[in-house]
Amino acid sequence: MAKAEIRKPKPKPNPLKTAEIDYIDYKDVALLRKFISDRGKIRARRVTGVTVQQQRKIAQAIKNAREMALLPYSGSGR
Amino acid sequence: MRAYELMVLIDPEIDERTVEPTLRKYLDAIITDGATVDELEVWGRRRLAYEIQKKNEAVYAVVAFTATPEQSKELDRQLGLNETVMRTKIIRPEDQKITL
Repeated sequence: MAKAEIRKPKPKPNPLKTAEIDYIDYKDVALLRKFISDRGKIRARRVTGVTVQQQRKIAQAIKNAREMALLPYSGSGR
Repeated sequence: MRAYELMVLIDPEIDERTVEPTLRKYLDAIITDGATVDELEVWGRRRLAYEIQKKNEAVYAVVAFTATPEQSKELDRQLGLNETVMRTKIIRPEDQKITL
């Protein structure tokens, strides 16, 4: 009997590497917006395709930006 | 000495032109003995992502400076005492570096 084929998802290209960004500035709202959903939630690493270390810095930057009201805590309501 | 970056949100009812001199006054008082102000930028009035103290906008200003941890702490404390300062944040820019 043929075994069910195990799906190996294609690794996503790292968007930071492609754009050659080596500094996650919490003031750079345009960049951070790429890593949040339209509800304002931080996107999972599974979705963003960055490394663990980078994801941590991005998350921290988003939280800093939220504190300074550069980004919303929650998107349009709820 | 360490590199720091300060962001301040100031009450929008204040005259934007007074922001820079006021900030300078605070910086000059604390940033002494070898500490330096490397960059001072007033962004001006900007919409807030959410309401703070019933206000929908604030004057943003960003200052890059080099100082001792004590001086940086004292600066943050002094700014917090000013009633026109709505919010402050001091970060270390080196914490934001990532490796590709």
